[in-house]
Amino acid sequence: MSDNDKPIPPVEGSVRKHVYDGIEEFNKRLPNWWLFTLYITIAFSIGYWFYYAQSGLPLSDGEKVELEIARIQTAKLTTDLVIDDASLWAMSENTALVVAGRETYDSLCAACHLTSLKGKSESPVAIGPDLTDDEWVHGGEPLALYKVVDEGVLAKGMPPWGPTLGVQKTAEVVAYVLSFHDAP
Amino acid sequence: MSARNITIEYNDKIVRQFMIASIIWGAVGMLVGVLIAAQLNFFQLNFSTSYLTFGRLRPLHTNAVIFALVGNMMFAGVYYSTQRLVKARLASDFLSSLHFWGWQAIILSAAITLPLGLTRGKEYAELIWPINIAVALIWVVFAINFFWTLARRQERSLYVAIWFYIATIITIAILYIVNHLSVPTGLFHSYGLFAGVQDGLVQWWYGHNAVAFFLTTPILGIMYYFLPKAANRPVYSYKLSVIHFWSLVFVYIWAGPHHLLNTALPNWLQMLGMTFSLMLWAPSWGGMLNGLFTLRGAWSKLRTDPVIKFFAAGVTFYGMATFEGPLLSIKSVNALGHYTDWIIGHVHSGALGWNGFMAAGMFYFLVPRLWNKPLYSQSLANLHFWLGIFGILLYVAAMWTSGITQGLMLNSTTEGGTLLTYPNFLDTLNTIRPLMLLRVVGGGLYLVGWLIMIYNIVKSVKGADAINGTVEVVVEDDVPEEERPLGAAVTLWNPPVIFSTLGTIFACVWMFGGPFLQIVGAIGTALSVIVAWVHFESKGKRWAMWYERLLVSAAPFTVLTLIAVLIGGMVQIIPGIVSHQAANVEDRLQIPYTPLELAGRDIYVAEGCYNCHSQMIRTLVPDVMRYGDYSRLGESIYDRPYQWGSRRAGPDLARVGGKYPDSWHYRHMEDSRQISPGSNMPPYPWLNEKDTNVAALASKIKVQRMLGVPYEEMTPEQIQASVDAQANEIVERLKADGIYIAPEKQIVALIAYLQQLGNYEDVSTGDVVRR
Repeated sequence: MSDNDKPIPPVEGSVRKHVYDGIEEFNKRLPNWWLFTLYITIAFSIGYWFYYAQSGLPLSDGEKVELEIARIQTAKLTTDLVIDDASLWAMSENTALVVAGRETYDSLCAACHLTSLKGKSESPVAIGPDLTDDEWVHGGEPLALYKVVDEGVLAKGMPPWGPTLGVQKTAEVVAYVLSFHDAP
Repeated sequence: MSARNITIEYNDKIVRQFMIASIIWGAVGMLVGVLIAAQLNFFQLNFSTSYLTFGRLRPLHTNAVIFALVGNMMFAGVYYSTQRLVKARLASDFLSSLHFWGWQAIILSAAITLPLGLTRGKEYAELIWPINIAVALIWVVFAINFFWTLARRQERSLYVAIWFYIATIITIAILYIVNHLSVPTGLFHSYGLFAGVQDGLVQWWYGHNAVAFFLTTPILGIMYYFLPKAANRPVYSYKLSVIHFWSLVFVYIWAGPHHLLNTALPNWLQMLGMTFSLMLWAPSWGGMLNGLFTLRGAWSKLRTDPVIKFFAAGVTFYGMATFEGPLLSIKSVNALGHYTDWIIGHVHSGALGWNGFMAAGMFYFLVPRLWNKPLYSQSLANLHFWLGIFGILLYVAAMWTSGITQGLMLNSTTEGGTLLTYPNFLDTLNTIRPLMLLRVVGGGLYLVGWLIMIYNIVKSVKGADAINGTVEVVVEDDVPEEERPLGAAVTLWNPPVIFSTLGTIFACVWMFGGPFLQIVGAIGTALSVIVAWVHFESKGKRWAMWYERLLVSAAPFTVLTLIAVLIGGMVQIIPGIVSHQAANVEDRLQIPYTPLELAGRDIYVAEGCYNCHSQMIRTLVPDVMRYGDYSRLGESIYDRPYQWGSRRAGPDLARVGGKYPDSWHYRHMEDSRQISPGSNMPPYPWLNEKDTNVAALASKIKVQRMLGVPYEEMTPEQIQASVDAQANEIVERLKADGIYIAPEKQIVALIAYLQQLGNYEDVSTGDVVRR
């Protein structure tokens, strides 16, 4: 059969011959902006695939994260803040630092040690021990306290906060706790 | 040529039944939605009873809205319009009734089992295996009834609405069955065939395309029938119908992995998910255009006719949601929006804005026609419309703001990017609380509008006589040549199919081939497109003629649709099935759970923890800073079901193991506010009262072994001994912190599970890394 035997397909803007339960259909052409949207997303996808899957240029997501985390680690290690017993005691007498430490404490530490810092001695359901008395499970020297907050004591359930807080904020929290004690 | 006149009476009873069911279940589904939204603000509304916690009710809400509201509405619309479009009564009154009552029984059993904590733990696929079988069977009943009706049609040519119905029926059948393949361990519990990353991939191939082929294509078909009917205008463009139908069904299937962006899913799948989502934008908007432009010349009705109001708003929301979808699929946008309320806002523009308004418009259209009595009150319908539109806008605006705010806070860093600005997750949660409350108000208004519709419809129908539509048709015994169905050869061997096939094959070769094949594929794809273009420009008439013939050929049309929807899923899913995944893991491998941990994990799944907690640290710096090293795909390779999650109403748990002492978890589950002030997590007191089901472990471990998890063979006695030993260790540790609990309680198993999250085996050294 040749093409000429066939009825001519509907032309632009005409109504199709076929009617379905009274529903007619125009045969209008596709809007240019719609076609443009279609083509541009296809073109972008081709370019995207070529760049990320085939060009070999970009790093993988995991590599990117590892690089950035390494940069953060380096930045954290190179701090000019001096952390020793003397400096922590000194910080504990600085109101601005103690107030900042209290903010962090109330947001993170109070869950286990309570806002009063009294922990288990105030409430038997509290998780953490009392931080106001003179009994220290892991040593009461400022640097020992700093180490506990920084590295945590996993066996006892104390999480390491150093990675989350950084040197400055960890020191502030320790200063806040020390502010409940008398410097030697 | 002989011809005779016959009168057909349509089966409109089944339409009325499905319509009423949709309206009632819709109200129930939305009511549960308002309750669980309020639970996020007021934890007390969990009522400290297991049956009403957020984790169990949220699946009830989603399943009710998808399968009960939209499902029943779809069946009503499909049955009403199909009979009229093909001029034939539904093939079997028995099958129609079976379909209706079977579907309602499924919904009822879902409404009972989900609050009981019987679940498969995958979103919108929570129902347990006996109900899965019922769903598959009833869907087949629907399919038989539908295609049998097509076979008896008096109108040879298939209208565009029917194309969409065909795509819906075959695709949902495939998606549903594949995603629910599982091996029972008991009457109410099963483990899926797929695990870990593969399970996640199949889940979102299903989940995303449930949106596509359950919430979109059937409703587009309904739009193509009811909207031109109500507006009394011709459809804007047949050409657009053809292009957007085929591009939509072909492209949609590929987009599923956009639910797993920046996760441990292999990158090529993430890239397919993202790019195909972008390419889906135009095909989706084709549907919107054909809807809105059909209203040209009928806009005056927008002021007077509530039906047109609802349709116009519904189609507009469809356009908005299908623009937002591609936007959210861009990896960098997704890094901000994923796991936040933005996604919740997005789905509600779809479910309430598109599905809910299209349903309401259709119901207001149908009531006067099915009961032969005008609508009781036009002003109440208008009030419904304005309450609905105000409610959904409030809802969506609140969720956008909430999602973007929480996303920005969670990702925010300070001190030169070295520290999180808000290390405490609860700070971000408590910032968005007012917005979460506004959402309750918005959803509540939408529900009030729906209840007004119920009142209006009840008043309209009261005292009215149900009537069934009839039509006079001229039956011609001789079918003219151009109305005879295509044979198998012409169905496949014709320019459009040949060029599409060549283009698709070459494009796949380009995407996945080695260095040489890539070039062959790229050139082949380009050539296919160019030759197809030239051929269409010169012989376009033949393309159009062939398509006209295809439209009178129901079976060939169905086969081509099937091929179009199968390609994307096969390319994405089959590679993972044929390769032995655990053996190919590069860096880290999951350690199989001990029996107690496995029991604990099943409690985690049953309580629906995945509704609020993810177990997937994405390859994003803020995620790693907050939760630890990013998750590797090997670390959840044996998980059935995978629990990567899709929303973080609470923090990620992928590496929570060892972070806190056992007593922390005990207190946290008892009432999380004891140690996390401001938390909105429900209390779980029954975990301290109910016993762990150790007896079920024997068959569970047997099934896990069968599915390839490297468990030693264990007798029930060995399992019991292992459970006792591990439980006693935990009980001793709790005792040291002043907590006394019997080792057989569920909380002990759950703690065992939570405390090992993040353990893995280092593949290169063989070392086991414990947290």
